[in-house]
Amino acid sequence: MISKMSSDPDAIPSIALIGNPNSGKTTLFNALTGENQRIGNYSGVTVEVKTGTAYTPHGRKLRVLDLPGCYSLNAGSPDEKVAVDMLLGRLAGESAPDLVVCVVDSSNLERHLQLALQVIELGLPCVLALNMVDVAEKSGLRLDPAKISEELGIPVVPMQASAGKGVVELKQALRFPFPPAPQNPAWLASDHSPDESRRSFIRALCELAACRPNSHQQTFSDRLDAWLLHPVFGWLAFLGVMFLVFWAIFSFASIPMGWIEALQGVVTTSVENLMPDGDLRSLLTAGIIAGVGGVIIFLPQIILLFLFIGLLESSGYMSRAAFLMDGFMSRAGLSGKAFLPLFSSYACAIPGVMATRTIDSAKERLVTIFVAPWMSCSARLPVYFLIVPLLLHEEEGSWKQALVLFSIYALGTLTAFIVARLLRGRLGADTHPRHFLLEMPPYRAPQWAYIFRHVTDRAWAFVKKAGTIILGLSILLWALSTYPKHEGDDATEALAHSAMGRIGAVIEPVVAPLGFDGRTGTAILTSFAAREVFVSSMAIIFRVEETDNEVETRALLRDRIAAAKRPDGSPLFTPLTLISLLIFYIYALQCLPTTAVVAREAGSWKWAIGQFAFMSGFAYLASLVFFQVGRLFGF
Amino acid sequence: MKAPKTPYVSLNQAGIGCDVRIESISGPGCDRLREMGFCEELQVRKLSSGRNLICSVCGTRLAISRELAEQVRVAPVA
Repeated sequence: MISKMSSDPDAIPSIALIGNPNSGKTTLFNALTGENQRIGNYSGVTVEVKTGTAYTPHGRKLRVLDLPGCYSLNAGSPDEKVAVDMLLGRLAGESAPDLVVCVVDSSNLERHLQLALQVIELGLPCVLALNMVDVAEKSGLRLDPAKISEELGIPVVPMQASAGKGVVELKQALRFPFPPAPQNPAWLASDHSPDESRRSFIRALCELAACRPNSHQQTFSDRLDAWLLHPVFGWLAFLGVMFLVFWAIFSFASIPMGWIEALQGVVTTSVENLMPDGDLRSLLTAGIIAGVGGVIIFLPQIILLFLFIGLLESSGYMSRAAFLMDGFMSRAGLSGKAFLPLFSSYACAIPGVMATRTIDSAKERLVTIFVAPWMSCSARLPVYFLIVPLLLHEEEGSWKQALVLFSIYALGTLTAFIVARLLRGRLGADTHPRHFLLEMPPYRAPQWAYIFRHVTDRAWAFVKKAGTIILGLSILLWALSTYPKHEGDDATEALAHSAMGRIGAVIEPVVAPLGFDGRTGTAILTSFAAREVFVSSMAIIFRVEETDNEVETRALLRDRIAAAKRPDGSPLFTPLTLISLLIFYIYALQCLPTTAVVAREAGSWKWAIGQFAFMSGFAYLASLVFFQVGRLFGF
Repeated sequence: MKAPKTPYVSLNQAGIGCDVRIESISGPGCDRLREMGFCEELQVRKLSSGRNLICSVCGTRLAISRELAEQVRVAPVA
């Protein structure tokens, strides 16, 4: 038989991997494709389908698609809809795959075969990957792959993708020509409804080919869950894990952060030694190196947070956390499934917003997206780290500062929950009530390869942002604060004469009721595309020159800010104005990429712009009320 | 012949740690429950109760809400 593909040697056949969540699909995808993968976005549907390349044992190139995990082809959530559209060739620019690999967890065939049967009914060539045979054997299950293959009419490959076992056998099964598409599935011959016939077929098949020992065994996961989901100890463990994550992020990250600072200092000094004093040197040191360096410094924290999120997900604890948090989240009108997106938002709202795809209810998803940016993301940290020590008149790093930092996080989170609750009430109930239903996968050892890839993806995305948006803004800011030039040596007068000083003077009446002057107003204005720019703007505005010791530089910036005076001689920053500034940064949505992702995920720019306007307005009002009330009380 | 009286209860009413057999599933959430592996004749062990209850179906632990559990009628395993 000559297949369609082998007659056209140039066409690269595509293979789709489909399976339930937790069936080991992504592990298999990584095992098949190695490093050759790419994440593609399909506009409109807002979901990522990973593609990669693999080779058959004969060296034929294959395009492998990793579809989002789904339980059925009935398209209950946005994730499932993408998978179904992909299989049916309904996605723009994609034709239906030439072959489908159904990945199933062999310890759980009764459940996972439901999806496999639906896929077989589509009439595409199909191969069944019986994954995690080790887990099945450990639980005493006796599998008969030959029998399953005979009954389903498709090739069946037993494997253990996490250990690389069976991958070669699977590639053998993907040889040309592809196995023919199964014809007239046996289970559809009965008179019952398709659902009913599938179920009875699976029941019969499992009795034949997957004998389960009768007694319910107490597995390791069961014993662990008895503690980790305990009404008291479970919560203690949960709080302990969360505390550990935050503590590690704030303490371990400081070591590599020191290296980055040192590197930045070395680069600045060498540029200063190599170049004569002038505009270009000033652009390089005060504009580019200071601006981009001030943002790259947060890379270690971002890497650590994603490392922990990856660890929690891959070990199976994340779904336990969602289970524990369900009661708590219900007070905000959300379900436990909103926990992971909101928790991720502490690192960065962008992956958080993207993680809302697992929420079935469309309204709950919108509400979660709406409040996610109020979980203080790591880009706010530079601002907090600059202001908090100033507020307490200390150097960086003390338990009092940790306490203030904790209250900042608590304030953002609490407001987010209150707004979520109000918004959820306004949106009304779902037309189809969705109930909490969550699978708790068995605890597994973390898959380091997967975590590593996940972390590098995120870190690279952050570096790219620093290299593009922030680099551009740094240059723009430097130019605005340098030109038009002022004759004379006085830096303050030069700044007032520059374009930035003039913009500051114009917007001063707008920010004055919050307790800020034009210079702070300008720095806030420049940070509307990326909030972390505030620190580098302040450094440029207050003309802090780089020194060899970076801790000294930051302390110098704080000294300059603390010593800054208003024209009448009163200090520019009092505790009241500093807190007002903090409040503004807790609430304002100053992140262009987040707004773009929200527009994509919520499916409308209206929602994204509404969120931006609401959060900016809320931040302004909150600062205004705080500052004015504080003044009335005589602070 | 007189049909034996079977003590069907909802999954909510089953005791913790009990093995039960699913007799019927009906209600608005039944499609989702079936996709997740709940179906008639299957044996389920209830592991905990509360706002959401946990049960073990074919070796997988599933957390489901009380509303969903109410739609599952079960009988004790003899």
